[in-house]
Amino acid sequence: MSKIKDLFESGKIKSAFIPYFTLGDPNYNDSIEFGKTILDNGADILELGIPFSDPVADGPVIQRAVARSLKNKFSFSEIFRVTKEIHLHKKDVPLVYLTYFNPIFHCGIEDFLNQAKDSGVVGLVIPDLPFDTKESEVLFQELRKRDMDLIHLVTPASTKKRIEALKKTSTGFIYYVTSFGVTGERREFSVDLKERIRFLKETIQLPICAGFGISTPDQAGQISGYADGIIIGSAIQRIIEENGHEFPKAKQALAEYIAKIRVAIP
Amino acid sequence: MGKNQPGYFGEFGGRYAPEILTEALEELESTYHKLKKSKKFKKELEFYLSNYVGRPSPLTFAERLTKHWGGARIWLKREDLNHTGAHKINNAIGQALIAKFMGKKRIIAETGAGQHGLATATVGAMFGMETVVYMGAVDVERQNLNAKKIEMLGAKILPVTAGEATLKEATSEAMRDWALNVSTTHYIVGSAIGPHPFPTIVRDLQAVIGKEARSQFKKQNHKLPHAIVACVGGGSNAIGMFHAFLKDKHVAIYGAEAGGLGPKPGEHSATLTYGKTGFLHGTKTLIIQDEAGQIVPAHSVSAGLDYPGVGPEHAFLSQTKRVDYRMVTDEQALDCFLEVTRIEGIIPALETAHAFHVARDVAKDLGKKKDLIICLSGRGDKDVTEVLRLLGEKSK
Repeated sequence: MSKIKDLFESGKIKSAFIPYFTLGDPNYNDSIEFGKTILDNGADILELGIPFSDPVADGPVIQRAVARSLKNKFSFSEIFRVTKEIHLHKKDVPLVYLTYFNPIFHCGIEDFLNQAKDSGVVGLVIPDLPFDTKESEVLFQELRKRDMDLIHLVTPASTKKRIEALKKTSTGFIYYVTSFGVTGERREFSVDLKERIRFLKETIQLPICAGFGISTPDQAGQISGYADGIIIGSAIQRIIEENGHEFPKAKQALAEYIAKIRVAIP
Repeated sequence: MGKNQPGYFGEFGGRYAPEILTEALEELESTYHKLKKSKKFKKELEFYLSNYVGRPSPLTFAERLTKHWGGARIWLKREDLNHTGAHKINNAIGQALIAKFMGKKRIIAETGAGQHGLATATVGAMFGMETVVYMGAVDVERQNLNAKKIEMLGAKILPVTAGEATLKEATSEAMRDWALNVSTTHYIVGSAIGPHPFPTIVRDLQAVIGKEARSQFKKQNHKLPHAIVACVGGGSNAIGMFHAFLKDKHVAIYGAEAGGLGPKPGEHSATLTYGKTGFLHGTKTLIIQDEAGQIVPAHSVSAGLDYPGVGPEHAFLSQTKRVDYRMVTDEQALDCFLEVTRIEGIIPALETAHAFHVARDVAKDLGKKKDLIICLSGRGDKDVTEVLRLLGEKSK
């Protein structure tokens, strides 16, 4: 059974807190510490971003994080080293990677998955790889062999037909994109968010976790009332951006923010 | 969508876009499928092409250039004579009509040299649609005249400062805008790139270039040319020129891509020579990337060729060797820009100057009594300031 499935079925959590940050921002070694800090203050699943030069599904905050990260020399060995360190800090927290398909394709799907698994990663989110592509099918088969999950994105624009179709190759949880556009903090969400999540829960027999735009404890508290998990990326990345040059301050701010969100989620 | 389904050219193409865009891409695909067969759409498109764009564009025999180069007879397909000065308007008009049929009130575009931005702003003005153009901040600078024209036409220019601040970043930003406003907005992709159905739509709308050139040449000469040449960035004028000739096996086809300053990564935009298979901006194609799959910034003296990817159909035509793609350096393009201007009295776009360089070699190889058509994709007024600056630098 996948580690993510295990977590949701354990009954230990009502709604999962899934923070995201980009590896290598501002450098790889600080990333290890940021990862540990986030884990210490209450992540149920941790989403690690592998930087890609052209992140079309991301808003300005994450784009800037990626650009800062890529100023360091990018290498997969560095990515896997950092991931493993974070994993060893708290082995029971599932790690997932969020990245675009090109770097994975380039690394070679099997090679990438073997090394990702060795580093403690149990699932993948790939915003630019639709489920109905040949590459997605191959990836899904390879992930299955390794008991790893392919986490699909569903959006407010996804049709019923498409949602039905993606059930076949979806595991772990569904990443529900709360609003149109790209990642980034927002004040308001679409009015039918609650209904849409309920509909998804009924249609796909997987936990539905909401992301894109959530940043405040109030929002997290409210949405976790009906979603199985809350994903927060840009708000965390902003803390790193604003304090990353002063490492202790960044760590402190990150710890406080994560703890505040953790408390807000039941 | 599998490998052998529509939207693929061999292994290249497909639809690799964020999920939020899938619905819009499917709507676009089915609308276009219907419109392609609709007499009303065809009639309307033809009306605008002949009464607004100025089609058919002439096929000019370049007598002086033929003599000067001393090889094959040179013919020019004059897309520079279109309204707004380039082939880009063929596609912009067509896609604006598709947008109108879909009930979209807002159009957006990315632009490198500014010609596609200008064409989109022009059709936006003509059809009364709200228009936003994304342009790299570096390109706003080096193609300032076009940037100013776009604004004058009532479109909004949004300079993109991320990354290298050129066409690649402008394309990413336009995709993000589309994701946010997908229900009201149509994204007029300017080249034969992007997720399916864009490469097909752009190809079909630009195919008018090759269709006209083929029949004009045949009418005048009672045969087909021996070779055709076009420049390739994303590759829209080239695929438009090539398409009607692909089945004419005895017609040799050449593409000219930007060799920039040299072969090192970051110095060129020679995707078909140095690119590797990958995924960028919604399509599987050849891309200039490093050993870890990060996209390497492209360079070309011409803003319109300055893109690290290429239309998937070109990737396929290169793989199957139907088209011979060759590199042209910044310097060679600049030389041809001046040569064609002085000899033939036509100022070509810097993009097109790349095609002229390849054509010069091909014309020599073919020898006399053979015929070669060059797609003169656009005029070079927009490049005059940049060329003068570069010449100034060279003489220092």
